[in-house]
This record gives sequence, structure tokens and C-alpha cells, in this order.
Amino acid sequence: MGITTDVAAGGNELVIKVAGRFDFSVHQEFRQAYERAPVRAQRYVVDMGGADYLDSSALGMLLLLRDHAGGDDADITIANSNADVRRILTISNFDQLFSIE
Amino acid sequence: MNRGQHLDEQALQELKAIMGADFPLLVQTFLTDSHQRIVAVSTALESSDADALRRAAHSFKGSSSNLGALQLAELCRLLEERGRDGETGADCPTLLTQLAQEFHHVERELTLLAS
Amino acid sequence: MDRSATILIAEDNASDRLLLSALLRRLGHRVIEAEDGAQALQLFDAVTPQLVLLDALMPPPDGFEVARRIRARSDESFVPIIFLTSLQDPESLAAGLAAGGDDFLSKPYNATVLRAKLNAFLRMAEMHQTLQQQRDEIARHNRYLLNEQEVAKRVVDKVAHSGALQLPNVRYVLSPLALFNGDVVLAATGPLGNLHLLVGDFTGHGLAAAIGAMPLAQIFYGMVGKGFHLREVLREINARLHDILPAGVFCCATALSIDFADGLVEVWNGGLPDGLLCRGDGLLVPLVSRHLPLGIRSARQFNDAVERLQVAPGDRLLLWSDGLPEAAGAGGARFGEQRLLEICGETPVAERFDVILDAVHRFVGGEGQVDDLTLVEVTVVPRAEFAGAVPGRIADAAAQKWHLVFALEAESLRSVNPLPLLLHFLMEVPGLRSRSGQLYTVLAELYANAVEHGVLRLDSALKRTAVGFARYYRERERRLQRLTEGQVRFELDYHGDHNGGVLCIKVADSGAGFDFEAWRDGSTPDHYAGRGLALLERLGIRLSVPLPGNCVIVEFRWNDV
Repeated sequence: MGITTDVAAGGNELVIKVAGRFDFSVHQEFRQAYERAPVRAQRYVVDMGGADYLDSSALGMLLLLRDHAGGDDADITIANSNADVRRILTISNFDQLFSIE
Repeated sequence: MNRGQHLDEQALQELKAIMGADFPLLVQTFLTDSHQRIVAVSTALESSDADALRRAAHSFKGSSSNLGALQLAELCRLLEERGRDGETGADCPTLLTQLAQEFHHVERELTLLAS
Repeated sequence: MDRSATILIAEDNASDRLLLSALLRRLGHRVIEAEDGAQALQLFDAVTPQLVLLDALMPPPDGFEVARRIRARSDESFVPIIFLTSLQDPESLAAGLAAGGDDFLSKPYNATVLRAKLNAFLRMAEMHQTLQQQRDEIARHNRYLLNEQEVAKRVVDKVAHSGALQLPNVRYVLSPLALFNGDVVLAATGPLGNLHLLVGDFTGHGLAAAIGAMPLAQIFYGMVGKGFHLREVLREINARLHDILPAGVFCCATALSIDFADGLVEVWNGGLPDGLLCRGDGLLVPLVSRHLPLGIRSARQFNDAVERLQVAPGDRLLLWSDGLPEAAGAGGARFGEQRLLEICGETPVAERFDVILDAVHRFVGGEGQVDDLTLVEVTVVPRAEFAGAVPGRIADAAAQKWHLVFALEAESLRSVNPLPLLLHFLMEVPGLRSRSGQLYTVLAELYANAVEHGVLRLDSALKRTAVGFARYYRERERRLQRLTEGQVRFELDYHGDHNGGVLCIKVADSGAGFDFEAWRDGSTPDHYAGRGLALLERLGIRLSVPLPGNCVIVEFRWNDV
């Protein structure tokens, strides 16, 4: 499974773990992860620890999540990115929209 | 000789069920055909044509078995074997005679059945 | 469930044939009978059965031969062939399969076995047919989609890959391989001679990118052509893309504006890999991506801050989309930024473009095509050398001379506003584009004057008070609606080229006219003359109003050298 989810912080936080390639092939799964989540989270964490690749469609998916999570009011952290993932996030200046750890 | 030896009872029942009103037609066709086949076997033996013997006997074997004439079919099989072995002499004439005789019985039984 | 089919049987034995037909018909099938191989082939062609039962041993062509010939004919349809035979020996059976047979049925015929085999094969044939239909439909759909993409590509190519890209100091490579890779390169020159360049990379390929590329290009060319600043162009593009594109679709882009006269470059990079300014002295200055890609931020939050860099003739700017650093070589290694920088460091400026291309192709090697490769190089040249071709709809390089007459009669005066039309036409003239404001003022005032004082004969004295103003315009409306006769006529006379020119504007009306000179030096109380002419005079525009005074002439001169 490329995408798994976890609920933390007493139901307030949804952690979405991405494993393998974060590209268009996991589009459906990623969307369902937050759309069908058991809780309406206030905070989101996208855990990229297991992800070895990220492309522009993944960036698009992150934007969709941000839209769902309240747009400018969204609280989303992208965690555990490896060097390649971080490079892509930096070039696209996504740190202006997400917290990057 | 009772009918059971020349014709397979069960097979005949099925044939009747399948053909329905056309059963007599099937019998008629078979009998007419069979005459020709016996002639074919005979000719093959006369001209010592083992291949022709094989083919004629094989064909007759098929139709006989379909009509439930098992003994007849067996005799055909033996003649077919002779033909495959390249043999038109030896016991072939004897087998042919037996074949003709068996057919005579089959013919009688089938005709009675079909009437 | 028993399927029903058209079945061809070839059996030379009459009683067997009769029996088999009866069996098949009882099972609900339609039976076509052949007495020998030759007839079987004829009937096969005529009837196209769904299944064939062949007696193996028939006089030639025997069952095996018929099977071979049937297989030779068959296109893609799957017609099961079952041999009727009492042959048991392995050689014969093998020969049967080799001839194209699928199964065997022995004599005596067993109704149950026959039924089972028929069902199995007919089910397979049905599945095969379904698969083929689905495959054909997918293929059809695919062709349709590819065609759509091809159309989209051509549309986008026309819009997005044209403009000033034929300039001698701009070199570029756009990958021809991907049917549509979402990359755009736009170049245009502003009216003041600035070269504007935009390299864009839309997320999503194919049609998704085409949707964004069109407005992007139209806004870019439209605004640059009208003299807008790079920041305003980017702001507008971002706003439009933000509106049209679905969430998750955006455009990484680097835009720059080069003023060759001042030796200044302004750069905005949102999401593309850092570009490079290669100075003549060998210094490499990165053009860093500091912004979010276009289309993500709302208009309110968009950051249009540009970086300003000094440049001199001989300096070069290199831009590329991520296809270049991401180019994959043997073992999945990426070409990378490091390699690019090294090449730039080691290669003379003039050769860099070609060396980079060559290096990427060799890196990718036989692995595959170099997909998604976009590389652009702009060389800074002295202003005098820069012959910026402005994308206009009329040829404007050579000198031009034309004369336009535009007259409005009474009915049109009521309902048509000629000003946008005339102005739009005048904006085709390159030299006039940056003077649109002034031109509009002139045309508007002259027109208002001609209509209100010339044709409608209104007294502008009314306009001096607030109450009078309202009355004036009510009266204007009333007279306009009742107008049956009258005319306002524009005559535009142009002579110029890209260095400068003269535009003579003459606006005449069907009214009685007035004594302009007398009005001017206040020697007449005639208030028919409009405020407008006074305004124009104050703007320093020279008017001449030959008697009888129902025609005003303005001469517009300009010089861009």
C-alpha cells in the first residue's frame, strides 16, 4: 500500500504516510485518505519518511489537501523528507504554504 | 440369438429419443450406407489394397458404433487393424464373412425396431 | 446455460451425419451440413459458423486439411474446430492439433460429452469476441484521445511557441518528442524595446496543460505588446490561471525582462530550477526560484517581486525546465544541477548551449529519448543591435502609409460608440501603442465636440453649473433620439515606420461650424465651442480649425529613435 493513515493527538491530527513513489498512481488513494478519514482533523501531517520520489503531480495532490484542509487556514506539516524530496519542495517554494520538517 | 447381442439396448433407447420421428430414416440411411461399405471392404480385399481396407473398415466402424451395433463395430475394428498392418490376406476373408453375417442380424433387428 | 450457435458439420458418412445433426438441433443449434471437405470449405466461407465439427477421415480434402485451410483463412475470430474421429493413436491426435484442431469427439457420439464440449468452446468464443470488442473500443478511444491531444498541441504551438522566438539572440530547444509536454516558451518585445521572455512548465501533460497555456500566452503577448511591466503581466497571468486551473494544477515559470539600453535584467522565478546568468567574465549568477509557481496564490497574495541584475553585452542567460536536470541515465541516475554547473564552468560561453545539449543526450544514451527537454539561451546585445520584432497583426517593419475614413450617420450616432473601434485600429501601429492615452483623449474630445456642438447644437455654457450639467445631458439625449439628419466623419492619415511617424486626425461634423480663431481670442461670446478643444490646447496639442469651423484637425508626430 502506498498510502496509510493514522489518527493522533486525540483525533485532532491525521497523519498520512506515503511510501514508495509519490506520483499520479497514488492519486486516488491519497485523496481518499483525507476525504474518508474517520475524523475531521484540525492538523495534518504528511509523513514522507518512506517516499523516495516526488513529482509535480504529488505537489498538486498536496495543494488539493491544503484546499480540503481550509486553504490559507490549513495546518499541514510535511515531515521526514529525504534530500531529493526536500530539493523539490524547496525549488517550488512550498515552504510558503506548508511547514516542512 | 437375442437382440441384446447385436444391438446395445441403451444406445438404441437414446437414439430413439434423439431422433424421434426420424428414427426410421436414420435406420434406413445406415442400412443403405452399410451395404456400400461392405462392398468397399470386399473390393479392398480383392485388390489387396490394405490402405483402402483400413479406411473402409474405419468408416464402417464409426457408423456401426453410433447405431449401437457393437459386435459389428468390433469386427470392423479388427479389419481396420489388418489394413493398418498392411494385411489383406490371412484371416481377412474370414472376418469379412463374419462381418456380413453380423450385419445381416443387425439389419433385421434394426428394421424390426424401426417399423 | 446452453449457448446456441451456427455449427458446420462435415461428415461423409450419411447415417453419422444424420445422427449428429439431430443431436445438435436438439441442443438448440443451427446446423449446416457438408458431405465432404470441399463442400465444408465452401459452406464455411458462405455461412461463417461459430463452430466446426469435422470428420477426420474423409476423402481429400480430409478433416485435417480442411482445418488447415480454415485456419489459413480466419482473421482474428476464434472458430473452434472439433474433430470427429475414432482415432486414438497419439500421432493422429497430435496431427489434428497441429492442423489447427482444438479438440476431439469420438464415435459413438455421446450426447452429454458433445454438449459439454460445445458449451465450453462456445463460451470461450464468446469471451474472445468480447475481449476483441473491448480491445477495439479501447483502441478507438485511444486514437480519439491522441487526435485530441494532437489538435491541442497544434493550437498551443501556434499560440505559445511563437512570438519573438525567431530573434537572432534567442536560442531555444523544445522537446519535439512528447506529444505535449506542458512546456511553453514565450518571447515578445515591448514598445520601448525591452525583450520579455517566459519559460513555463505546466503540471499535468496533454490537455490539462493546454488549458492553461492559451490564456498565459494571450495575456503575455497582449500586455507586453501594450507596454505593461513584467510585474503587471505576471500578476495578471497568475490571477487568470488561479481562476481557471483546478486546484493542484499550476505553472512553474521563470520570466525575465531585459532592457538592453540600460543593461538591466529583471527576473521572476516561481518553481523552475534555478536559471543562470553567465557573465562575460566567467561569473555564474543563479536565477533563484523564490516564488510559488503561477496559479497557486490568489491575486491578493501574489508576490510579484523581481530580482534586478546588471548585464552587459556578451552576457548570456540560460533557462531550463526540470526535464534537463531530471534526465535519466544508466541505472536511473539523474543528470543533475551539479553537472550543469560544471559544464558551464568548463565551457566557453559561446559553446555552452550546444555542449549542454550534447552532454544530456550522451548521458541518456541509448536508454530512451530525452523527453521534456526545454533549454533557452538569451544573449545580451547592445540596444542598437536589438531588432525586436513586435508580434503585431500587420507587417510593421517597413514604412507604411494609409488613409482611413470613418463616417457615422444619424442612426449610428445614436447607438454606436466609434472610439474603441478606432483606438483598437490605431493600436496596430507600433509607434502609437505607448501613446494610447493621449490618442484616446484627442479622439474622445473631438468626437464629443462634433456630436454635441456640431450636430446636436448644444450650448456648453449649460455645463458650468451642477444643475446645468444634468440638464445638458438630458437635453443631449433628447436631441440624439430625435435626430434624423447629421454626420460625424473621422479621417485618419498615417505615414510612418518603426522610427516615428505622423498621424493626422481630422474630425468633421455636419453642423454649421464656428469661428475658432474668434473663440480662441475671446472676441466672440459664441459658446458653442466645447470645453474639449480648450483642454486639448492646454495639453499642448496643436489644433487647426479651418473655416467654416465644422472640422478640427490634429497632427500627431512622434519619434522613437
